[in-house]
Amino acid sequence: MREVGIIGIGHTKFGKSQVPFLDMACAAALEAMDDAGAKTGNKNVIDQVFVGSMGSGMVSRVSGIASALVDTLNIRPAAAETIENGPASGASAVKLGFQAIASGCSDCCLVVGAEGMRAVTGWEGTDFVATMLHPTGEYPYGCTLPSFAGMFTRLLMEKNGVESRDLSIISVKNHANACLNPVAHIQNKVVLERITDERIIAATNPLVADPLRQFDMCPVSDGAAAVLLVAKEKMKDLGFDGKPFIKIAGIASATDTHYVANRADPTELLAVRLSSQKAYDMSGKKPEDIDVAELHDAFQILEIAESEETGLFPKGQGHIAAREGKSEIHGEMPINTSGGLKAKGHPLGATGVSQIVEIVKQLRGTAQERQVEGAKTGLIVNFGGFGNNVVSAVLTNE
Amino acid sequence: MEEGRKMYAYQCKKCQKLHHPRYIVCQNPDCDGREFDEMELGGKAKLLTWTRVYNLPEGFSQAWLNFGIVEFENGVRATGQIGFDDIENGMEVVSTVGVIRNFVIKYKESVNEEQYGFIFQKP
Repeated sequence: MREVGIIGIGHTKFGKSQVPFLDMACAAALEAMDDAGAKTGNKNVIDQVFVGSMGSGMVSRVSGIASALVDTLNIRPAAAETIENGPASGASAVKLGFQAIASGCSDCCLVVGAEGMRAVTGWEGTDFVATMLHPTGEYPYGCTLPSFAGMFTRLLMEKNGVESRDLSIISVKNHANACLNPVAHIQNKVVLERITDERIIAATNPLVADPLRQFDMCPVSDGAAAVLLVAKEKMKDLGFDGKPFIKIAGIASATDTHYVANRADPTELLAVRLSSQKAYDMSGKKPEDIDVAELHDAFQILEIAESEETGLFPKGQGHIAAREGKSEIHGEMPINTSGGLKAKGHPLGATGVSQIVEIVKQLRGTAQERQVEGAKTGLIVNFGGFGNNVVSAVLTNE
Repeated sequence: MEEGRKMYAYQCKKCQKLHHPRYIVCQNPDCDGREFDEMELGGKAKLLTWTRVYNLPEGFSQAWLNFGIVEFENGVRATGQIGFDDIENGMEVVSTVGVIRNFVIKYKESVNEEQYGFIFQKP
C-alpha cells in the first residue's frame, strides 16, 4: 500500500448555515484546496472526489452533491461520488479516499463531509435521523437515536455505576473546549452546578430520553468539513512539495447488528472495538500511543463507552477517568479538544471529516489554545447508526 | 388493540434458530438458511432496559412515549413501546399488539412560494 496523508483542511463554522447547502460544502472544499495549494481548471490535480452526506437529498433537496461540487469548483473531470453511511458518512468518505490512493487507483483525492440539518424543524429532523434505525423493528415505533442512547445509558449505569453527573462533567468539558474553537457551533461556557443541581435541573437541563438530559446529547447543526489526501510519493510531481503531511496510518470500519436488541451484550459497542483494533493494527500503534482523540459523543455516554472500547481507558473506567479530569485538554488522555459533537456540533455527514480536521490541527501543532503539547498520534471514532457501522482512524505526524 | 393482529418470531427451517425481526438469511454464523417458519411471538417477557422520550419524531403528538427492549421466555428479544409509566428495569411485562403509529410519512408536502427565472417567448 502507498503512504497516504492529509495536506489540506477546511471547515465551515458549524451551527446554522447562512448560505445554500452546495455553497457550504464548496466553502469547506475550497478552504482545504487553498490550504494545500491545490488549483482549479487546467491546473487541477485532484482525480477523485468523495462527498460524505447522510441526507442532502432528503433534507436539503440536493442529491448528486459530489457531481454538483466538482462542477461548481471547476475541478472536472475528477471522478465524483457521494457516500452515505449515516452519521459516519464523513469518515467513510475519507476511508474510501485513502483506499483509492493507497491502492494506486488515485493520486490526489478531495474528501468533503456536509450536512444541512437546520433546513427542517427539529420534529422533522428527528424523524429523518430515525430513518436509519431498523425499518420494521425500530423506526415505526417512534424510536429515535436518543431513545437507544437512553436505554444504553441505563444499562451502563446499572453495570458500571455511571451517574448522570458523569455525563454532565463530560458535557461541561466539551463546552469549555468549544469556547476555544472558532468553528464550534456552541461557544458558551456551561457550569456543572447549573445543569446538575436537583432544585433547578428540570428547567436548566430537562429530560429528553430518560435518563438522558438535554446536556447529555449534541445539538442539531449545519456544517461542512474537507480534507485533501495525497500519495506521499506523488507530492512533488503534483506540486505539493514541502506541504505539512499528516499521515493516515490506519483507517478501518466494522459493522454490528442493525437491530440493537439483538446484540449479544447490549452494553458493548462491538463495531467501535473492531474498527479501532483494525486501525491500530494497520498503523502499528497501540492505545497507549494515542496523544489526542476525537470520539463520537453524539451522546455523552458514547464518549465514555468509546474511550473504553478503543482501549484509551480500562473497561468500566471511562466515567471515572472523566471525573478525574483525565480527558481534559491538559489531562493524560485528552478527548474531544474540538468541543466534540456536544459543542462543536454534529452535522451528520460532516462530523467524521471534522474530527479528522481537528486531529490534523493537533498534529500540525496549530490548534492554538486547544493544543495538546507535543501531540504525535491521534485517533478518531465516527459512529454510524446506533453503533452498527463505525469508522476509526489513526493519524500521525511521524 | 385490533383482533387478529399478531407479531412473529421467524424460525430458520434449517437450524431452528428463532429470529426477530424478519431476516432474509439466518443469523446463525454456522447456518445459511433462507427459509423461515412464522411463529407467533408474545406472552411474558423480561424488560432489559427502557427510556421515556420527550422529543418524539415528526407525526407523533404525544407528550412522551416509553420504549423498552424485552427478552421473551424463548430467548427472542424485541424493541417496542411500553404502555404504562411505573417502569423498572428487570420487571416482567406482558406483550400485546396495538397501534404504534397512526400515520406514515410518504413524501414531503410543498409550500406556496413564488420563484423567478427565465420564461422564453416568441419575439
